[in-house]
Amino acid sequence: MIEPTLITEILLAFALTLALIFAYLAIRERDLIKAIVFSALQSVAFAYAYYLLFAPDIVLAYIAVGVGIYSILLIYGVSKTERYEEV
Amino acid sequence: MTSMVSQALWIYFYITLIGLIAVSVYGIVVRPNLLKKIIALSILGDTANTFIIFLGFRRGGAAVPIFPSIKPTPEELLWFKETAVDPLPQCLVITAIVINMSVTAFLIALAIQLYRLYGTLDVRKAVRLRG
Amino acid sequence: MGVIVKRPYSEVIIGLGVALLFALTLFAVIAGATGFTPKEDIRPLAKFYLYYAINWYEKKYWAASPEAVNSMVWDYRGYDTLYETSVFFLAIIGAIAVFRIPKVKDVFTKGILSGKGLSLIVKTITKLVIAFVLIVSIAIAVHGNLTPGGGFQAGSAISIATLLAIAAFSRIFLEERKITTKLMLPIRVLGVLGIGLLALAPGLIALSGVTSFVIQNQPKPWANWGFIPGIGPFWLSGNQFFYNFCEFVAVGAGFTVIYLIFSIPELIYKKVLGK
Repeated sequence: MIEPTLITEILLAFALTLALIFAYLAIRERDLIKAIVFSALQSVAFAYAYYLLFAPDIVLAYIAVGVGIYSILLIYGVSKTERYEEV
Repeated sequence: MTSMVSQALWIYFYITLIGLIAVSVYGIVVRPNLLKKIIALSILGDTANTFIIFLGFRRGGAAVPIFPSIKPTPEELLWFKETAVDPLPQCLVITAIVINMSVTAFLIALAIQLYRLYGTLDVRKAVRLRG
Repeated sequence: MGVIVKRPYSEVIIGLGVALLFALTLFAVIAGATGFTPKEDIRPLAKFYLYYAINWYEKKYWAASPEAVNSMVWDYRGYDTLYETSVFFLAIIGAIAVFRIPKVKDVFTKGILSGKGLSLIVKTITKLVIAFVLIVSIAIAVHGNLTPGGGFQAGSAISIATLLAIAAFSRIFLEERKITTKLMLPIRVLGVLGIGLLALAPGLIALSGVTSFVIQNQPKPWANWGFIPGIGPFWLSGNQFFYNFCEFVAVGAGFTVIYLIFSIPELIYKKVLGK
């Protein structure tokens, strides 16, 4: 049968693949609000990877910082400047 | 003890992390908007933190580095020493997260001030306006 | 000055080439350092920290806390945390200095925009969510030396409560209830001052002849004094409880100041810059 460590490694591969897809979509997007949403989703995928690697302190710190603080400061920045990126 | 499937999965982890570094460095160098560069910089910092935690992982019957009670017996301490994951990389990563967060907050404040003075956030246009 | 040539394809290819070269070099370095197979054993330094963190039988090296990560942040590797707290303090001062306005009185009175906020449904639900966020963040800060948590995590979580209040009610509503930057800046300085006094208190004790070192928690064979591990039913772990609480106050108040200053509308800055 499948051992527990193999299940952990398959879930870790799934989490890191999801993070790579969201990071690529965030960088090539031209509307900055959608890029901020993709960056927050990539932070959630990384937080799931930290949980699978037995690090609970870092999960708490990283969800509050990645989804809360980075998204809010970037949305303040976009509302005071322009929304669309050129070329 | 490690089968072929496990070996292949571990090589795949490292390939994914190297791909994330390549995507974020491409975002910093090629994209001209300042806020897009700041988003790519935050992705690069998080990938470096994940590398550090991979270095301290123990495969096969691991445990969280937090002991479940206050008064342990000597046999439980020996079990804890032989089973738990390395706690030193986690301490360094908490420090790194706080420093990256404070530097990013300061960079966003500077970017907004640049837009007020020059009227544009595009680095190709802002280079030509001096003073 | 206004004409931008469309980016030629050679620059994109150079950018991709640089990124790929960087990635391959990093791959070669890491494969040499860790190898491809995962390890089944950890380093001897990590075993030392895990074995002596809560060891009642050899009290020469113990840190009196069952959580190895928090005892390493504040006791075994305390110098790193001390300098990291000062970097955070200075970065927030820098961000406030960039956004300063000469006449403070023009901004903080009811002038340009009215403070109405969002609809009634949003306000009712936000009141419940703010209450839950406050309870959870205080629990994470106070339990930091026994369960996963600590100062930084709790400080980041409590600043989200202020952000929800600014979004659902308005900034002018909060300022009428005396939650302004004038109140939050001294609270932040008090938090950082608490950490500094706890770290440098051994210096005062060294004046009376007893040997001690900076950031000392428990007695060592060459420095024969220390903080009490627990009072009655409360397990304090020396001074880790007080460090966690002061860091929680400092980080929470710091981010509240940043959100309040970023919420000032742009018309005021345009008037000041004269455009």
